[in-house]
Amino acid sequence: MRFRYAMVCSSNQNRSMEAHALLKRQGLDVASYGTGSHVKLPGPSLREPNVYDFGTPYKQMFDELRRKDPELYKRNGILQMIKRNLSVKLAPQRWQDNAGDGVFDVVMTFEEKVFDSVLEDLNNREQSLTKTILVMNLEVKDNHEEAAIGGRLALELCQEIEGNETWEDTIDDIVAGFEKQHRRKLVYSISFY
Amino acid sequence: MASYSRARLKDLANSAKSATELPPKLQRLRYMRRDLQKDDSVFPTELLPHLFDLLSDQFGAVRKFVAEILGEIGLKYVELIPEIVPLLIKSLEDETPAVARQVIACGADLFRSTLERVAVQGLHSSELNDLLESSWTWLIKFKDEICSVAFKQGNSGVKLCAMKFVEALILLYTPHEGIEADFNISILRGGHPVLKIGDLSIEASQKLGLLLDQLRHPAAKSLNSSTIIVLINSLSSVAKKRPAYCGRILPVLLSLDPLSFLKGVYAAATNLALKTVFLSCLKCTHPAAAPDRLTSALKEIEGGGQAAKAKDLFYKTNGSIQDKDSVEDTKVSVEENPLCASSDVAESNLSRKRSGSEYNIDLNGDASDGKRARITPSVSEESTDGLNGNDGVSLPRVASTSTGPSDSRGVSDSGPAQQLVGLFGTLVSQGEKAIGSLEILISSISADLLTDVVMANMHNIPPNCSSYADGTDELVMNMCIVGSDAQIKYPPSFVAGVLSLSTAFPPIAALINPHNEDEEVYSVHVDQQMFPAEDARTPPGLLATCDTSFPENEESNTVSPQNVHYIGNRESGIPGLESSAQHDGSGALVTNVLSSTNVEAASKNQNASFSGKLLVDVIPSMSVDKLEEFSPKAVGTVASASQFVLPKISAPVVDLSDEEKDSLQKLVFLRIVEAYKQISMSGGSQLRFSLLAHLGVEFPSELDPWKILQEHVLSDYLNHEGHELTVRVLYRLYGEAEAEQDFFSSTTAASAYESFLLTVAEALRDSFPPSDKSLSKLLGDSPHLPKSVLMLLESFCCPGSGEVEKDLQHGDRVTQGLSAVWSLILMRPGIRNDCLNIALQSAVHHLEEIRMKAIRLVANKLYSLSFITEQIEEFAKDRLFSVVSDDCDKMDLDLKSPPNKPQHSISGMSMETPSEATSSSTSVTEAQRCLSLYFALCTKVLRIFTILRLMTNLVFNIYKNASDPVKQAIHLQIPILVRTMGSSSELLKIIADPPSGSDNLLIQVLQTLTEGPTPSSELILTIRKLFDTRIKDVEILFPILPFLPRDDVLRIFPHMVNLPMEKFQVALSRVLQGSSQSGPVLSPSEALIAIHSIDPARDGIPLKQVTDACNTCFAQRQTFTQQVLAGVLNQLVQQIPLPMLFMRTVLQAIGAFPALSDFILEILSRLVSKQIWKYPKLWVGFLKCTQTTQPQSYKVLLQLPPLQLGNALTKIPALRAPLTAHASQPEIQSSLPRSTLAVLGLVPDSQGTQTSQVQANETQTSQEQQQQQASEPQQTSQSQQVSVPLSHSQVDHQEPSQVVASQSQSSPIGTVQSAMSQSQNSPIDTGRSEMSQSQNSPIDTGRSEMSQSQNSPIDTGRSEMSQSQNSPIDTGRSEMSESQSSPIGQSQSSPIGTGQSDMSQTPQVSDSSAPEPTSHTRTSDPQASSQTLRDDDEKIDDTATSENEVTEIEKSKESSEEEEEEEEEEE
Repeated sequence: MRFRYAMVCSSNQNRSMEAHALLKRQGLDVASYGTGSHVKLPGPSLREPNVYDFGTPYKQMFDELRRKDPELYKRNGILQMIKRNLSVKLAPQRWQDNAGDGVFDVVMTFEEKVFDSVLEDLNNREQSLTKTILVMNLEVKDNHEEAAIGGRLALELCQEIEGNETWEDTIDDIVAGFEKQHRRKLVYSISFY
Repeated sequence: MASYSRARLKDLANSAKSATELPPKLQRLRYMRRDLQKDDSVFPTELLPHLFDLLSDQFGAVRKFVAEILGEIGLKYVELIPEIVPLLIKSLEDETPAVARQVIACGADLFRSTLERVAVQGLHSSELNDLLESSWTWLIKFKDEICSVAFKQGNSGVKLCAMKFVEALILLYTPHEGIEADFNISILRGGHPVLKIGDLSIEASQKLGLLLDQLRHPAAKSLNSSTIIVLINSLSSVAKKRPAYCGRILPVLLSLDPLSFLKGVYAAATNLALKTVFLSCLKCTHPAAAPDRLTSALKEIEGGGQAAKAKDLFYKTNGSIQDKDSVEDTKVSVEENPLCASSDVAESNLSRKRSGSEYNIDLNGDASDGKRARITPSVSEESTDGLNGNDGVSLPRVASTSTGPSDSRGVSDSGPAQQLVGLFGTLVSQGEKAIGSLEILISSISADLLTDVVMANMHNIPPNCSSYADGTDELVMNMCIVGSDAQIKYPPSFVAGVLSLSTAFPPIAALINPHNEDEEVYSVHVDQQMFPAEDARTPPGLLATCDTSFPENEESNTVSPQNVHYIGNRESGIPGLESSAQHDGSGALVTNVLSSTNVEAASKNQNASFSGKLLVDVIPSMSVDKLEEFSPKAVGTVASASQFVLPKISAPVVDLSDEEKDSLQKLVFLRIVEAYKQISMSGGSQLRFSLLAHLGVEFPSELDPWKILQEHVLSDYLNHEGHELTVRVLYRLYGEAEAEQDFFSSTTAASAYESFLLTVAEALRDSFPPSDKSLSKLLGDSPHLPKSVLMLLESFCCPGSGEVEKDLQHGDRVTQGLSAVWSLILMRPGIRNDCLNIALQSAVHHLEEIRMKAIRLVANKLYSLSFITEQIEEFAKDRLFSVVSDDCDKMDLDLKSPPNKPQHSISGMSMETPSEATSSSTSVTEAQRCLSLYFALCTKVLRIFTILRLMTNLVFNIYKNASDPVKQAIHLQIPILVRTMGSSSELLKIIADPPSGSDNLLIQVLQTLTEGPTPSSELILTIRKLFDTRIKDVEILFPILPFLPRDDVLRIFPHMVNLPMEKFQVALSRVLQGSSQSGPVLSPSEALIAIHSIDPARDGIPLKQVTDACNTCFAQRQTFTQQVLAGVLNQLVQQIPLPMLFMRTVLQAIGAFPALSDFILEILSRLVSKQIWKYPKLWVGFLKCTQTTQPQSYKVLLQLPPLQLGNALTKIPALRAPLTAHASQPEIQSSLPRSTLAVLGLVPDSQGTQTSQVQANETQTSQEQQQQQASEPQQTSQSQQVSVPLSHSQVDHQEPSQVVASQSQSSPIGTVQSAMSQSQNSPIDTGRSEMSQSQNSPIDTGRSEMSQSQNSPIDTGRSEMSQSQNSPIDTGRSEMSESQSSPIGQSQSSPIGTGQSDMSQTPQVSDSSAPEPTSHTRTSDPQASSQTLRDDDEKIDDTATSENEVTEIEKSKESSEEEEEEEEEEE
């Protein structure tokens, strides 16, 4: 059974894109989104982040940051990350603004706040399709290393789900198995389209 | 075009059917679907069979896709629905879940669209067309199928979708507010051919109920978490979209505790879903949303943060959305929430039993509450009617009052309560069937709401109740019967509930038992009786009700007939009061009642009638609680009692005189108090104590209720829970006093408080043993401790002397007081200072026992409390100082030889003379009284050495100025302190630098320190250093004497000798005893020799001291035995020159041990060979000795040269005759030389004898003169001698002073000398001239010795040269030079020193016998003493003289060139 997956984090830069890239490479049907109001990237200091609107192409960010302070953004891995991103898709997308992207079967979020936002958004949509959607949250810290780990875990999880005819009947076991194996907390919810 | 497409579609269908692989099939179908969507024309019906075939395809994916296509077709071509739906229904059971899910999804779409069509069509016409109708019928069927899937047991993905479908169904079937694009069922009007809005709503409600049922506890257990999550989400979306259902949904969600049946991940997921739901529900403005409970539930889930956010959210949304509603309205809605929620709970619980009623109540709620009516548009009249029709239960009265809109407006002010009344009515009307529901309902209603309900019900009470007052007995019986009947079947609590209900709700009661009108009336009557009647009676006085019951007890003459009747009535009704009725007028009512067999009943009745009724008067607001507390039976009795009272109550108006009233009141109060004895026995007195206290406050103060209470409390403090009651009373009074209503009442209360507390406290003191804790507990618990109580406490801790004798247990009393004080200090910062003062005063109490206890408390417990440490320290210090200043004052006042005192203290630690001791004995204890606290503190701060050091220092400083008693006290105290300190470095610091004047204290400290094991080397070092540098008093060395090296002891020996004899004895014994480890420092003989080697002149020690020291030694015969003495003498006789006291010691030895005489004779003969006559002093002693030992000594005498023999005989004429007789023996005479015989007169040579006698005389006088002269240079030489060899630091210090001393000495003596002998200008010259004149001069010897001791070997050689070679001293000198290698040894055995002391001592030895030398000594003695005195003075004055100066002085003195050379050489 081929499911459609969505990877969602806050800025659609690091965690979701990492997972997106991984899943895509594995041939899964995947998209990625952010739920924040803006795309935020670390700046020269904590109080001066780089803020972009969703939809700003990764290429543009890449060029801008490289122009601003190539050293800094190379050192903190931002440039490499954006470079990776622009090879995956054009621009960061906001979950809430892309309801028209179609029906997903599984949504992976990487932060509880994001998870809540996704659920809230789903609940606010008109649910007329009577089509289930699985929303899962895997807590992943927003840094490169953790994102890499989180991406791998997300892939593993999605492959597990992919291996089942219907996740609705097996999701409890999948989640329990995952928690047991990786000792990471996994929360899920079910919503409808 | 159309045909083409049809053909193509057919082809596609066929090819799809025929394809064997999945991908091409799907491909074809996709094409087909695309074509179908494009095509707007009529659907090719012939395609359907193909599709239907495909619906049973082998591939699930194909089936699913076909189902999807069919669904789309159905949406597009309604007319095909009757064909499609049956197949879809079949496909619901498809083995592939995805197909079934797809079918459900299609079903949802189809259902919605069809419903819309049906509804819309129904709007315009009264009939639907057949097609639509049949479609609708099919869809209803479809819907039912899906619903059955949704409510099937078990878990599956299909079920999730089905449940979602149900959710959609509910939403479709219920009207909603707002202008949403969605279909709204509210467009339906009455008269729709198919759809009835009421039916739809009922169905929706039913479905919702089914959904909810799944989540209820037993069912939920079998669900997996995804199902639960979906359920929760669905329900929440229903709740959000149809807020009217909040009230049903939320309680279920709130009561859902996933943790109880799910574990781990599932519970977490569920919790999360719940959280989301609650958060979203918080945004809901519907009153049933119950934000409070949501927040708390969220709190439980989240543990804080989120919930706070949630609350904010709630208020924000409420504030912003409810534009019309004021804040007040919001509040109202919040208040209503519990009601709605609980009623919903109750109702939903009931739902299984009465399916119809829930909906009814929902509607009721909606209709009656204006706000909710706005949210959920009120249903049309018609449908409501229909509803009522549907409802199987008819609610004649209640329903009509609450459903109708007009009615609801009428009762809108107390809406919820009114509804509840209605609900109760409905339930009660069902009789026993509804008992369970009723119970739940009652238990779920909050107390406040219940009150409201009761109040609301008051309106329903018929006004003319009093007319039912008759037939009362039956009523009671009925009540009992009802109660007992019920008790058989139901738990008592429920019976109570029903009873109270039936009393509270007359209409309900009527419904329960319509035929039993009496009961209803009765209960109404009770209600009226309870409130309005009593209110009416309050004005006459607090005890109005009592008035009616007691007058006959006191004054039976005033009883009115009505009262009698009333009593009679009571008698019949309340068995417990029988006795009181029987003993009318006896006055002993209370006791009689109590003593009656029916004690329990009586007390119960008293409870009921007094606390119930009387207190109802006092505190009307409490009556409800009070009544609630009682058991049903009690309620019954109260009720019945008042029921009897009512008809007669108007009558009793009795005029009482004031005294009568007073006594009545008093009696009442007494009776109440008496009743408390029973109460406390049966427990549950906590609440009632407060009442009693309150009663006391309200009671007229002139009747002194407190005294009665006190008596009650104290009569049996423990059993009457006296403590608790007292504390209650105190708090009540305190509150009264602090309330500051007006001056009078507050002061009255304050004084009442004080006297109450004091009385109780005193009583506790007197009645309980001191070990009892009640008192301190009371003091600890009282709200405030007035001065008088503190004084009481103080009298515990610091009793006067008179009290102490009186109270045998005063010790324990003190402990009790102190422990109370302690706990007060700990617990009550407010009076901490006062309490601390008590403790401190006690710590300086004049009785030691008390003082010690208090000190223990202060030092061990209080001192460690940081907040009072400083205070305690200050106090202790203050006391310490006060001792000193007091003493000074006293001394000034006494004017009693102030100069005498310091002398005393300097003179040592020997205590004062007995007389003084007695006179100051009181003040010693006084001083100790003040000091012991400080010392106790000192020992406590040991760990903080710096503080200790400061404190100890302070003690030392105080000591300096202290008077004797104080010093004594300090002496008594300090050992403890020192012992605890040990020889720590801090103490050593103090020792090393003691404040001046504290020598004695220091000694005491040292003594204490050395009491134990061997003192540390640091200590010894410190003491020695101290002795060397600052304190010359050798006494400080005493404690460490046994531990000093031998040489040091010998060095300080002269100082020891200089002490008073007792002290010397002590020192001597210490030295001889030594330490346990190292043994004696000196042997007895060494000690004796050391004494002998003291040179009084050189060491500045009066001769008397030395002789006394000798005497002391001789006194100790056990130590200084014959052998010791023999050894000592043997050693001494070898010394050159002989020690000054040598002959004296010999004489003493003979006296002490006559057996030694032979040995002594041998010594004497050795002395002869040593030319003893050259030492004039010793010579006298020698002669004395021979006299004592005659006749054995004749032989020795005869050995003397003739000249000396003659001299001896001249001196002791008594010897001449026996000696001559002895010598005249032929054999002896023959052995004697002629000259000797001539002296004896045995040979006639009278002239020679004469001359020799003269010569001898002359020699003696000249010798005596010379001796005087010589003493001076010898002095000089002595100083030099001391100064040169000693290389210690001590020497540096002593040397100049001594030299200066000798200088100042010498000059006056020099002048005297020059006056005496003109020819000799300088004493040294004299010495030298003498030397040249006669070699025998002893001074000469001294002189030469002196020069020899000046370290110049050449010089020695020279002086030896100048002396006659055959001088007997020669040998001695060679010995000397040998011993010079050790400086100390030299000073010890210095021949000069000995010689000199010999010279000055000799006359003393011969004191008794020779008158002439005595006179001489008399002249020389004062000189010597004056010298020593001056010595002392000079020491102090001119210690700073430099060595150069010394040299100069010496130069000026010594004129001879040789001497000058010597000096140079020395330098």
